[in-house]
Amino acid sequence: MSERPPQSESEIVELVRSIDVPAPRELHRRIDALIAERAPAARRPAAPLRLGLAGALALAVIAVALVVGLSGGGGGSALTLRSAVALTLRSPTMPAPTQNPHNATELAADVEGVAFPYWEDSFGWRAAGARVDRLGGRKVTTVFYARGHGQWIGYAIVAGAAPQIGGGIVREREGTSYRFSSVDGASVVTWLREGHLCVVAGHGVDEAALMALASWRERGTLTA
Amino acid sequence: MRTLDPQSLSKHVDRLYRAAWALCGSREDAEDLVQETFARVLSRPRVLRGDDELYYLMRVLRNTFLTSLRTASRRPVTAAAIEDAVAADPRPTNRPEQAYEAQEVYATIAQLPDNFRLAIVAVDVLGLSYREAARALHVREATLTTRLFRARKQVAERLAPEPPRREGRREENNAGGVMFTEGAP
Repeated sequence: MSERPPQSESEIVELVRSIDVPAPRELHRRIDALIAERAPAARRPAAPLRLGLAGALALAVIAVALVVGLSGGGGGSALTLRSAVALTLRSPTMPAPTQNPHNATELAADVEGVAFPYWEDSFGWRAAGARVDRLGGRKVTTVFYARGHGQWIGYAIVAGAAPQIGGGIVREREGTSYRFSSVDGASVVTWLREGHLCVVAGHGVDEAALMALASWRERGTLTA
Repeated sequence: MRTLDPQSLSKHVDRLYRAAWALCGSREDAEDLVQETFARVLSRPRVLRGDDELYYLMRVLRNTFLTSLRTASRRPVTAAAIEDAVAADPRPTNRPEQAYEAQEVYATIAQLPDNFRLAIVAVDVLGLSYREAARALHVREATLTTRLFRARKQVAERLAPEPPRREGRREENNAGGVMFTEGAP
């Protein structure tokens, strides 16, 4: 604020009109995604690859992940809830993994054996992209899912032994603790799958929906 | 009469974001409001009867905002971890002094009564003419002019420095937030 606060009506008008802070890039991206949904002929992001090339794609994802990992992509900031959630709210840098041809409830992407779920048939959330980053020396793989009118969530799995998790609103389901919180306006759920930290976050997605997604186990093929 | 071209809307995101920020007083809520506004506008083809796109967006923003006010009290509130509460916002701008000024001014506007808030947002933040703003807000132009005058006056009063007073130290409460600690769970 300037030295002397505005006092007259014209000074207030001038002050308010002078502010030209831009919208965050993330918001631009979400709006562009909404517009692309409405204008299919326009620059819609490449459709998640359902061309029967699952094996080749999985290899491609792994190759890109290795490159990003070795080059320190995503920086090396500490592993915190905020930093993990931030990754789930960023843009994808890789194509979406396809459905696993050997297990229809999973995608052909995993972190140390913990696979990302295939939600499209059960929930309408289709895989829309992926990215790999490093936090606190750990590799974090995120798969993004999109649904309907521009809804978007990120599902991150952190490699290595899970850190201790505390706090949040805890809900138990089938022996697993799901911790709900809110970061930067995004709804967040964190839990452990096979000793790996998982984080799912998104805007405009309520706790019940997050719980349904996080705890989904189709015919026992996904283990919490 | 013409059909609204969805592709033409992206150029209004920045301005609509500032308007939403001034209405909500928080960047996070503003992002949600803008996204919801665009989702509504894009939910089906729209016909503009000689109207400007920005006028149309303001109308939908107003309706979405008023709806969100009615439902806000039903939303659960979750405390953030201390790391979330104190970390600098990494997002908005490479001109931090302006972001600070925007935060102060928009937070002040957001404290005004709804009708005053909408008036100053429509005209001063979004840049609509008095005529467009009055139509978007469903009021007469004379009413809008009065509300605008009072809104600006109240903003000036609230931005005026208060006499100094002594305050105690306040600490953030991080209860309820999720935190990670390295080591075996």
